[in-house]
Amino acid sequence: MAHSFPSEPWTAAFAEAVNANEVYRKHGAPWTYGAVAMVCSADPSMGLDEDVGMILDVEKGECRGAKLVKGMDAVMDTPFVIVAPYARWKQVIRGEIDPIKAMMEGKLKMTKGHLPTMLRFVESSRALVTSATAVPTTFLDE
Amino acid sequence: MEPSIHLAPRAEDNGYAVMVAQLLRQGLDERPEKKATVAKMHGRVTLVVTDLGLTVSLVFDGGRVTVHDGFAGIPDVTVRAPAEWHTKMSLVELEPRFGLPDPRGPVAKEVFEASKRGEIQMHGMWASLPLVFRMTKVLSVA
Repeated sequence: MAHSFPSEPWTAAFAEAVNANEVYRKHGAPWTYGAVAMVCSADPSMGLDEDVGMILDVEKGECRGAKLVKGMDAVMDTPFVIVAPYARWKQVIRGEIDPIKAMMEGKLKMTKGHLPTMLRFVESSRALVTSATAVPTTFLDE
Repeated sequence: MEPSIHLAPRAEDNGYAVMVAQLLRQGLDERPEKKATVAKMHGRVTLVVTDLGLTVSLVFDGGRVTVHDGFAGIPDVTVRAPAEWHTKMSLVELEPRFGLPDPRGPVAKEVFEASKRGEIQMHGMWASLPLVFRMTKVLSVA
């Protein structure tokens, strides 16, 4: 069943997809650096009146939980925050762009977090984000 | 002198320039011993991400580092490689005594092989070997 992005059911399905991702389980096994938030910037033309974030509580190659939050204040305590407009996340979910290359191009922005740590875990970071491609998704503009 | 990292005008629009500046800042905070290395560095290094069409130049001036979008004068060293290898080069292992690239490290070996295949091209390396080694040291997150 497809879920609308972003939504609570989509976020829950994303967490399941992360846990089903063997690449993430393997490369993320040493990860003990805290949760990661993926934030979709506000876009009133898409019906997103404020920033919407998905906080993934990841630890040792496992996603222990995920929640949908609204507003940047809600991700203030999250150690790693990646922000992008809706259209970019759509490309990520469709597997059209590589998240690491997208960061280099400034299409995804890490607004908070320790970049050296992220680079040490570059394969798990990529696997974490690309787990979204496994979630059957409907988009707000389709 | 405490090293300082600056983004040149317009460099904030280049995602890779922003990443390199952030990597330098956070890397120096994490490993203060690298500050002495940066203080000794003089020269211009240009990084060309061939598959993304991105170019970033770093100008080292005895502790002051300026990160530019595109070329900034005539580089002493130019590194041309796809995004994947630029990311991997930051994972090159360093030998503990002098912080030089460790040729026995698995990533260092991969980078060496990629250089032999021509996937990574370094121009000016032999004439500026100390700059290359120091650059590897300060950008390495391994």
